[in-house]
Amino acid sequence: MKRYGEHRFPGKLFIVEGIDGSGKSTQLMLLHQWLQAEGYGTVFSEWNSSPLVKETTRRGKKKQMLTPATFSLIHATDFADRMEHNIIPLLKAGAVVLCDRYIYTAFARDVVRGMEPKWVRELYSFAVKPTGAFYFRVPLDVAMKRILDGRTGLKFYEAGMDLELADEPEESFRIFQGRILEEYEKMVPEFDLTVVDATLPIEEQQVQMRQIVKAKLAQAKRLRVSP
Amino acid sequence: MRETYGVVLPGMNLVDLTGKLIVIEGTDGVGRSTQINLLKPWLEQQGRAVLETGMTRSSLAGGGIKQAKEGHTLGRITLSLFYTTDFTDRLENEIIPALRAGFVVLTDRYTYSLMARAIVRGIDPAWIRQVYSFAPKPDAVFYLRIGVDDLIPRVVFSRGFDYWESGMDLHPSEDMYESFRKYQTALLAQFDVLGEEFSFEVVDASADIRTVFERLRAGIARVLSGEPREPLFAVPRPKETVEEAAKAEEAGEAKVVEVPAPNKVTAAGE
Repeated sequence: MKRYGEHRFPGKLFIVEGIDGSGKSTQLMLLHQWLQAEGYGTVFSEWNSSPLVKETTRRGKKKQMLTPATFSLIHATDFADRMEHNIIPLLKAGAVVLCDRYIYTAFARDVVRGMEPKWVRELYSFAVKPTGAFYFRVPLDVAMKRILDGRTGLKFYEAGMDLELADEPEESFRIFQGRILEEYEKMVPEFDLTVVDATLPIEEQQVQMRQIVKAKLAQAKRLRVSP
Repeated sequence: MRETYGVVLPGMNLVDLTGKLIVIEGTDGVGRSTQINLLKPWLEQQGRAVLETGMTRSSLAGGGIKQAKEGHTLGRITLSLFYTTDFTDRLENEIIPALRAGFVVLTDRYTYSLMARAIVRGIDPAWIRQVYSFAPKPDAVFYLRIGVDDLIPRVVFSRGFDYWESGMDLHPSEDMYESFRKYQTALLAQFDVLGEEFSFEVVDASADIRTVFERLRAGIARVLSGEPREPLFAVPRPKETVEEAAKAEEAGEAKVVEVPAPNKVTAAGE
C-alpha cells in the first residue's frame, strides 16, 4: 500500500481548499476551462461522489446518527473509494485531475469536531500528494456575506449543529467556519499550501493560479481529447 | 478507567465502564457463533446481562457493506475503512453504553479480525493499527485457533466456500479450494502475529464443541471473578522482546516498559 506521498503517475493533481464562500469552486471552474482550451485532458473529481458509500453517508446525515468519529470515517471511506476508483486510475492515464476540496477539508473539519489531528492525518495517509494545492484565504465576514446572500437554510452538519455551538444555524455556522479557518491557517505551513488572496478580483486570482499551474505542467504531455 | 490502544474518541468517556468486554476471535467457519450461542444463555442463567454483537451489524454501515460486497466492487482501502465505520458505530452506540450499564459484552470478533483481513490484502500493518488505535482494550480475547486442514472440512460440509472468506478478490484466477487454502493460511499466520502482540488467550478449536465451550466458560468465569489470567493460557512473549524490555529497564528507560509489551501497539504511529 502506498503511503501518503509524491505519486509517480504521469497525470497531475491540482486541488483547491478554503471555507465555503471563498470562491474556490469558481476559480477551479475557470482553471478547468483554460486547461481544456490548452489541450490538456482534464477531469473533475468531486468530493462525496462515490455512489457506493454515498447512500450510507446520506442516511447517516439525514437521521443525524453520525458522531465525530463516524462522520470522519464515513467520509474517509468515501474518499478512499474515490482515490482507488477515480483519482489514481485517472493519474495513471495521464489526466490532469482537479479536486474541489481534498484531504485538508477533512483535516480541518474532523479536528474541529474533536478528532485527534495526528490520527486524522494518519487516516488519510493513503492519499496521493497533490501537484499543486491552493488555499483561498478569505476573512470570515466576507465569506459569510457571500454565502448567506445567495441561499436559504443551512444543513445540519454543514452548519456544525452537531457540535452544539449555538441554537441558531446561522450563528452555529459562523462559529464553526471560524474554527475551520483556524485549522486551515495551521495547515498552510504544514503542507506548504499555495495561498491565494480570495478578496482580490476574480481575474487576478485566476492569473496567479494559471501561472503556477503552467509552471507545474511544463513537462506534462498534453493528452488531446475531443470535447 | 478503561484504556484504549492510543487515541480517545471525542465524547467517549471511559470512566465507570463497569461491564466486561469479552472478544471471541477466530477465522471464518471456526465456530465462533456456535460458541457465542452457548455462552450467552450460560451467562444469563447466572444473572449476567449480555450484549452480543458482531461485524457488519451496525445500523449505520452494516447494510451498505453487505450490498457493496455483493457487487465485489470496493477497493481494499475503501472496504477496510467501511468496516472501521461499522465497528465505530457499534462501539459508540452499543458496546460502550452496554459496558456503562454493567453488561457482559460478547463480541463476535473485534478489531483484530479486521486488521488481519486488511493486512492479508496488502494494507500497511502500521496504518491499520493506527486507524484502530481508538479501540478500548478488551478484558479478554479468546482466540479459537485451528489449522487450515481442520478448517477445510468444516467449511465444506457446512456452508461451503464463500467468495470473501476464500480471498477470491485476491486470487481471482484460482478455484475456490486453492484460493481458500492460500488465503486462510495467510490469515491464520496473521492472527498468530496479532495474538502475540495483543496477548490472545488461545483455545484449541479443533476440539469438539463441548470441549471448546468448557474451555471458554472457564476463561470467562475467571475474567468475571476478576482473577488474574492463568500463566498456562498465556502465549509466551518472544525471548528477544523480554530481553530487550529487561535491558531498557536497566538503562532506566521507564517509558518503554511502562506497559507490558503484549497490549501495546508498538508498530503504530511512528
